[in-house]
Amino acid sequence: MSAQRKTSPWSMQFSTLTIVLIPVAIGINYVGKLIAAALKLPLWLDSIGTVLAAMLAGPWVGAISGAANNVIFGLTADPISFWYLITSIAIGFVVGYLAFTGWVSSFGRAVALGFIVGIVATVVSTPINVILWEGQTGNVWGDALYAYLVGNGWPIWLASFLDELVVDIPDKLATVIVSYLILRALPERLASLFAGGRDQVERL
Amino acid sequence: MAVVEVDNLRYRYPRQTTLALDGISFTAEAGEFIGIVGPNLSGKSTLCHALIGLVPHFYKGAIGGRVVVAGLDVHATPVAEMSRRVGLVFQNPFTQITGAKLTVYEEVAFGLEYTGVPREEMVPRIEEALRLLGLWELRDRSPFALSGGQMQRLAIASVLAMKPQVLVLDEPTSQLDPSGTREVFEAVAALCRQGITVIMAEHKIELLAEHADRLLVLHQGRLVADGTPRDVLSRAVRGELENEPAPAPPVTEAAAALGWTMPEGGFPVTLDEAVAVGRAVMAGDSGADSR
Amino acid sequence: MRVSLYVPADTWLHRLDPMTKLLMAAAGVALTFVLARIESGAVLWAIFFTVLGTGRVLRQAGSVFAGVGIIAATFLIVQGLVHPTNATPLIILGPVVFYKEGLLIGLRLALRLYNILSATLVLVLATNPADLTEALVRRGAPARLGYVIMSVLQIIPTMVAQSAAIADAQRSRGMETEGSLWVRVKAFLPLMGPLVTSSLIATEERALALEVRGFGSSARPTFLKPEVRPPHAGLVRIMCVLTLAAGVAGRLLLGW
Repeated sequence: MSAQRKTSPWSMQFSTLTIVLIPVAIGINYVGKLIAAALKLPLWLDSIGTVLAAMLAGPWVGAISGAANNVIFGLTADPISFWYLITSIAIGFVVGYLAFTGWVSSFGRAVALGFIVGIVATVVSTPINVILWEGQTGNVWGDALYAYLVGNGWPIWLASFLDELVVDIPDKLATVIVSYLILRALPERLASLFAGGRDQVERL
Repeated sequence: MAVVEVDNLRYRYPRQTTLALDGISFTAEAGEFIGIVGPNLSGKSTLCHALIGLVPHFYKGAIGGRVVVAGLDVHATPVAEMSRRVGLVFQNPFTQITGAKLTVYEEVAFGLEYTGVPREEMVPRIEEALRLLGLWELRDRSPFALSGGQMQRLAIASVLAMKPQVLVLDEPTSQLDPSGTREVFEAVAALCRQGITVIMAEHKIELLAEHADRLLVLHQGRLVADGTPRDVLSRAVRGELENEPAPAPPVTEAAAALGWTMPEGGFPVTLDEAVAVGRAVMAGDSGADSR
Repeated sequence: MRVSLYVPADTWLHRLDPMTKLLMAAAGVALTFVLARIESGAVLWAIFFTVLGTGRVLRQAGSVFAGVGIIAATFLIVQGLVHPTNATPLIILGPVVFYKEGLLIGLRLALRLYNILSATLVLVLATNPADLTEALVRRGAPARLGYVIMSVLQIIPTMVAQSAAIADAQRSRGMETEGSLWVRVKAFLPLMGPLVTSSLIATEERALALEVRGFGSSARPTFLKPEVRPPHAGLVRIMCVLTLAAGVAGRLLLGW
């Protein structure tokens, strides 16, 4: 009997199970956004599915879920989301890779992961905001800060970065914490089914 | 020649220490209707999954022995390839709908499209499958607008269009009402008459007793009985099976209590048989008195 | 509850094949970035209006336009107030001064937003997503991607319905969904958790069901429906390419 093989998180083998996970992740993103809006929360919470897919099935599935999310919504309901494709992909990669290296092993680490994701999302979104909208985000709170900073002579890039940062840090922190709590509540069997998808069959 | 050959099949799920299937061996001929019975967690679903290769290809874990279905070695053949020879229908009608098609007609086409069946061949196959399962009139409906029984028949039609030689059903009626259950059993019996081998895991023992040619009894992953319904159920009411894994139909229990046996041995397993035997016993009673 | 904005109808736009409409959208987005002046942006938007109007989807487009109205207004306000090139005061409301330079930049951004939206809506409002997906898979997109798109469009209404049911159930157990921010934050997890957990658990059964339908097959897929391209598609394609070429030439030679 061979020992359990340790596989790389970057393996690009997609099982049917991981393909089925992608639409579910996109659905979770959508419902998260919907519930956050219904509760009038000052957060988007629209990437919980992407984060969970990455935690369960690794960086590639996370990135693909993120990309498919923005392409599908871009093509069906919200054309602007198409442009933030790269941000979603980055979130999927970062969470997927760090989850494999133990960043979801405890609540404290999940909080740290939330900060990291917030910063990554900001870094990736800022150039998109600058290219498309002179650095604005369209979020009222962030844009108020942006107007104040630019009005006081700050460079557009920096103002735009901070505009995005004040929105993204709380949002991604909440997203990763919610995802972490849900991940902990999933049956062990399911998590290992996703994790074991690339294992070899042993002979008895 | 046997369509299904299972030889000393052993299987263990990943991260488990006990075997889910332990030394199962049996064969099935073309057109045979085999029922699989046993308590929950006795290995019925696992055995169904093993006949199309979901065990071990989907679940991984550890496997031993040999499973050959329609001439293919299941352990060496991908599930997508097996799906053209073996159909599998699951418990829950809802999760079997692919969710990627808008009408009943297109839903049946799903598997044919993915396995690259040419369009000219697809159209007659879909019509045949839908007519056989009595769904032709509903072909333009949304799959999600069907009743449970209709949805389960759609699941059968969808695997049938792949032209399998063997149809495996894993408790297909457990979430259906009595009329849905009857729809499914009648459809399956009709397929059997066309030469398709049917293997069905099921709790509804009365219906299996009526339709199945043979019953397999599983207990803790082992095969504890394999024979005709009369043989197996008669042994069950006599308490000859390990831990009474399969409750016999009430009619068999009653006949056993009365001592009514069939002329060829064993107890009756359907109401019709019991009535016939009962009549004979009543008529015979007067003869016995005069002796 | 529908996810897709697709409006079924029978117009020249609806009858076009999905690939032609994809080309229209791509040419439109490209032109949005090619054309620099406000006037050219306005002309482009007028073209989109004509296309959307004759395709009988202008009303639906209008509600999408209104939906992003706040974003467009923010562009005007913020850029009018604070853009670094601001020099000429135009509107003075007490201490608040809007500058001409910034307002023009804000207007250009708003036009860009509406032009990108319009270009995409030409495709989105008049194309059945199932047809678009199939057209892409025919041209070599992975069949599994096709599954993902179609499945999303069906899964979201189902999940939204489930979340409404869960919300009712939780409220009837006394959960508060209104009040202070903290009360509303606390409500999020009980509303979200059960739905997410159950839909993740259902992935196993759905994956099994797809596997036995040959989903993992490496064969090139075939298609139930034959592909049709209407006669006027060729003309529309040529028009798209010509318009794009004219836009590029105009920008380079005449500064459009």
